[in-house]
Amino acid sequence: MAPDQTAPTTTPVVPTLASPPEVAPEASRSDAAASPAPVVFDVADLSVYYGRFRAVREASLQIHQHEITAFIGPSGCGKSTMLRCFDRMNDLIEGCRVEGTLRYHGIDLYDAKIDPVEVRKRIGMVFQKPNPFPKSIYDNIAFGPKLAGLKGNMDDIVESALRRAALWDEVKDRLKKSAMGLSGGQQQRLCIARAVAVEPEVVLMDEPCSALDPIATARIEDLMQELKTQYTIVIVTHNMQQAARVSDRTAFFTTEVNETSDTRTGVLVEYEVTDKIFSNPSDERTENYVTGRFG
Amino acid sequence: MSPADSADRPGRLRVTYSAELEQLRLQVEVMGVLVDQNLERMRQVLETGDPTVAALALGADDDIDAMNVSLTERCYEVLARENPVASDLRLVVSVIRASSELERVGDLALRIVKAGLDHELLVASPRSFDIAQVMASEAVELFRDAMRAWATDDVDLAARLSHGSPSIDLAFAQLVETLLQLDGPEATAVAMRTLVAGQALDRIADHAAILGSRLRYLVTGDQRHLAAEIRR
Repeated sequence: MAPDQTAPTTTPVVPTLASPPEVAPEASRSDAAASPAPVVFDVADLSVYYGRFRAVREASLQIHQHEITAFIGPSGCGKSTMLRCFDRMNDLIEGCRVEGTLRYHGIDLYDAKIDPVEVRKRIGMVFQKPNPFPKSIYDNIAFGPKLAGLKGNMDDIVESALRRAALWDEVKDRLKKSAMGLSGGQQQRLCIARAVAVEPEVVLMDEPCSALDPIATARIEDLMQELKTQYTIVIVTHNMQQAARVSDRTAFFTTEVNETSDTRTGVLVEYEVTDKIFSNPSDERTENYVTGRFG
Repeated sequence: MSPADSADRPGRLRVTYSAELEQLRLQVEVMGVLVDQNLERMRQVLETGDPTVAALALGADDDIDAMNVSLTERCYEVLARENPVASDLRLVVSVIRASSELERVGDLALRIVKAGLDHELLVASPRSFDIAQVMASEAVELFRDAMRAWATDDVDLAARLSHGSPSIDLAFAQLVETLLQLDGPEATAVAMRTLVAGQALDRIADHAAILGSRLRYLVTGDQRHLAAEIRR
């Protein structure tokens, strides 16, 4: 992607990324429409290609601070691809290229001067399957802060992260034991603790509950409500009820098939306050998808 | 296109669920027909005081009540099992509410039937008797419009209904005016019977307006119509 000419090229990249505006997180779910919070990500006409294959076509949306934004849509609609643009994870895929702009607090994330590693410090990711390191619970959390050179008492950092992930009480007596001995739900909360330990601003979650039972899922969903007071959360989910339960805004993506070339591409159909998407969506394709009438 | 491709292509899903929602909708119409039949009996009793027709109306109201219960239970079951959203959710919620409106119209019709059995008293004041007949015809027509709107998703008709009926309001005001001017030994008894019927007819017209609002919400999803009768 060509460097965006309007980007403030003289601005030092790292300090700018490191200083998001402070905003009191007081908006509840129903307030999302009434008073939009500041914009964290501003996506304009974003297309993502894997080689010649266009996975996402010209999507535009804004992610708001201290809100939970859910991406829903059928398999292959480009929602995970879109999510991975936010922390430049797609850079790791050969042949992947991005067109359009994706600004993080006004800074073009795909500007040539931006260091993807720096981006991933600000923007954490939690994956579908819990993927703790085969190390102790303590080391799982401490690894990121050590690498990032975070200052402070490491014991305090670990405890704080585990508390924020609502896991502390369950593991405080076995911090030196292997993380692999935790249950699936605990492992996923450990991964969330690991993500928040490096003090990111945004936490991305790619189907974080799809490998968990309903109880563990409910725990993670409660946790997300607590986390959003400190972080901005973007979640990809196949569970529409989950999107309806936890998110402030919902983006519905679908797959468009080009009959002539027999190619398909992901498009953003509708992006709205969640209540609207699940009570009165504007687009018939959204209606058909959320009611489960067509697939 | 290969079979594998066609499996990926959009197609109709949740056929049983769709059929169940369609059934809920139809049940509202069936219930509407039962209420309509009783409104017709109500009009007859109000005009003639015929006790045989009144007995039929009383029996039919039990069916209407039973249908309200079973339809409500069916809606709750769909809510519990299917988690309906968007237009499906609006349908289920609207069916629950429409069904209780219909049940209420049925009860009001019975109140008029009971008042109508005192035929001798009602006809003792020819002017108020005539106004009550006019109100009854108007109320039945408004109810029929409401059911027609539901059967055809006619949002324009629903909108007209939801604004209320000035003519029935006017007729009711005239009725009250006439009753206040009655005198003679039976004036109070005539006025009370006629007023009970008049008020119930006025309420039936209100319920037709509410059914209009319910349909507007169902079709448009516009929350202003969700509780229009409360906001009014």
